[in-house]
Amino acid sequence: MPELKVKGVTIVETFAEAFPMVGTRVIITAPTAEWAMISARTMTGFATSVIACGAEGGIERTLSKSETPDGRPGVAVLLFTMDANMLQTQLRNRVGQCVLTSPGSACYAGLKGEKSLKLGSSLRFFGDGWQMSKVIGGRRYWRIPVMGGEFVCEEKTGMTTKAVGGGNLLVVGKSHKAVLAACTRAVKAMADVPDVITPFPGGIVRSGSKVGSKYAGQIASTNHAYAPGLKWHADSELPPSAEAVLEIVIDGLTADAVHEAMHEGLHAIAKGGAREGITHITAGNYGGNLGPHHFHLKEIVG
Amino acid sequence: MSALSFELKGRPEQRLDLSSLVPSRLDGLNRKQIEALSVATTRETLTVGDAFKVKGRDVQNLHFVGTDDRCDKIGAKLAGGEIVVDGDVGMLLGAQMKRGKIAVDGSAGVSVGASMSGGEISVRRDVGDQAGGVAFGDTFGMKGGFISIGGDAGSLLGERLRRGLIVVGGKAGDYAGGRMVAGTLLLRGGAGRYAGYGNRRGSLIFADKPRHLMPTYVDSGVMEFDYLRLLETWLREQGMRIRLGGRARRLMGDMAVLGKGEMLILE
Repeated sequence: MPELKVKGVTIVETFAEAFPMVGTRVIITAPTAEWAMISARTMTGFATSVIACGAEGGIERTLSKSETPDGRPGVAVLLFTMDANMLQTQLRNRVGQCVLTSPGSACYAGLKGEKSLKLGSSLRFFGDGWQMSKVIGGRRYWRIPVMGGEFVCEEKTGMTTKAVGGGNLLVVGKSHKAVLAACTRAVKAMADVPDVITPFPGGIVRSGSKVGSKYAGQIASTNHAYAPGLKWHADSELPPSAEAVLEIVIDGLTADAVHEAMHEGLHAIAKGGAREGITHITAGNYGGNLGPHHFHLKEIVG
Repeated sequence: MSALSFELKGRPEQRLDLSSLVPSRLDGLNRKQIEALSVATTRETLTVGDAFKVKGRDVQNLHFVGTDDRCDKIGAKLAGGEIVVDGDVGMLLGAQMKRGKIAVDGSAGVSVGASMSGGEISVRRDVGDQAGGVAFGDTFGMKGGFISIGGDAGSLLGERLRRGLIVVGGKAGDYAGGRMVAGTLLLRGGAGRYAGYGNRRGSLIFADKPRHLMPTYVDSGVMEFDYLRLLETWLREQGMRIRLGGRARRLMGDMAVLGKGEMLILE
């Protein structure tokens, strides 16, 4: 079988294994784009992995004044969890603690999902009876009096059960510097794809994990097959030249969106070619036992 | 398919009850059956065919042409579809409607959208008393939807309004928002006396400081309202040229009742 290469970078014939998630989108607006971003960043802080964060979240994109319900600058935020109850809890806590508290912010539904999640309908109780409900164009909003004026929050937002978590690319290179540069480029390219986020710090994971551990109670542990310091081990998947491996994890509202993001990311990684120090692009899977979504790299390339 | 149109043949001898001319009642009827429908309001029999020249077929798009102030209950209990009126209309336009759209290129009589629960009504010129008010036998006024009035509105605009939005381009009469339960009135040309009388939780938005203020409203000063921006954005999306800005003076009232209503006077 001929080896698949893009600009000299080997594309390993494997697949990224992803799993179903539930997801939602909210739109945060503020008096300035900077304050909308502060609020969104706070809301999606500590939302890298459902392993121990409760949710995976990230900023999908910034929104211009003409794209938001109140004509102010905004940010679209995506939030994913494994089940609807957890998503509801995370959404309420994060919007309540990070958007309600943020100066001048407002929070609106960003998704018309098959099901809905409570947004303002639970946060309104902060108003202690002084909250007011308003229906505009068939959508209900709550006006909650706060010290900074009023916090406006839409009653509900949509939820999708067709979301996909854990789409991924593993980037293997001859130096940490080369791999980091390629991954940074890829995250930037993926940021233009709608309906997806890369929830880890700057979109990149340096500690890809496997399920389970030799220690009782530890549910995930280092993916030792891709740790360059353990290349001596029989399990190692790395070539002798590998000095660093970084992973990009992608969550999306649909499998198609994850596929598109992986396509954009893969080509952005390979853009510099093998001469920039990237040797392999591969992906993480658990032999098909983790989830039903398999993103085969030979199809992603095309 | 062309709109089903009803062209008034001449000024009718009696008031007409046109509540049967809505899509849900016309669906499945042929031209002859439609022309045989009664529209009489007196003992003297009168059918659609006697009063109107009927053309077209699309029952979801109704077009009234040349109507006058004796044409009552157009779009009453409307549950979907669109009605365009080229002329004036009588009372109870869109009363108790649930869904759909009515656009009148003229003036309307009393009780426009009375106790409606959804949908949109736009009247290009003036409307009579009790627009968005209480329909005969009902407990509450408008319970949802949107009424846009280009000209002036009569007294008791939005009486016992419970939900929904009414925008008046001209001046509203006395008792605008009387005994409002909730919902919103946007008054671009001011109102007469006793605006917001008995208001429990509703919002009256004034483009300018009203000439008469109820003494039972309490000033809360000026602040920023994202709600006004939200409303402005939505109204612009509906094609209305409007500027609300974000700053307004807020007066809370009516303190003689619940006192959780408000007047927002734009800065």
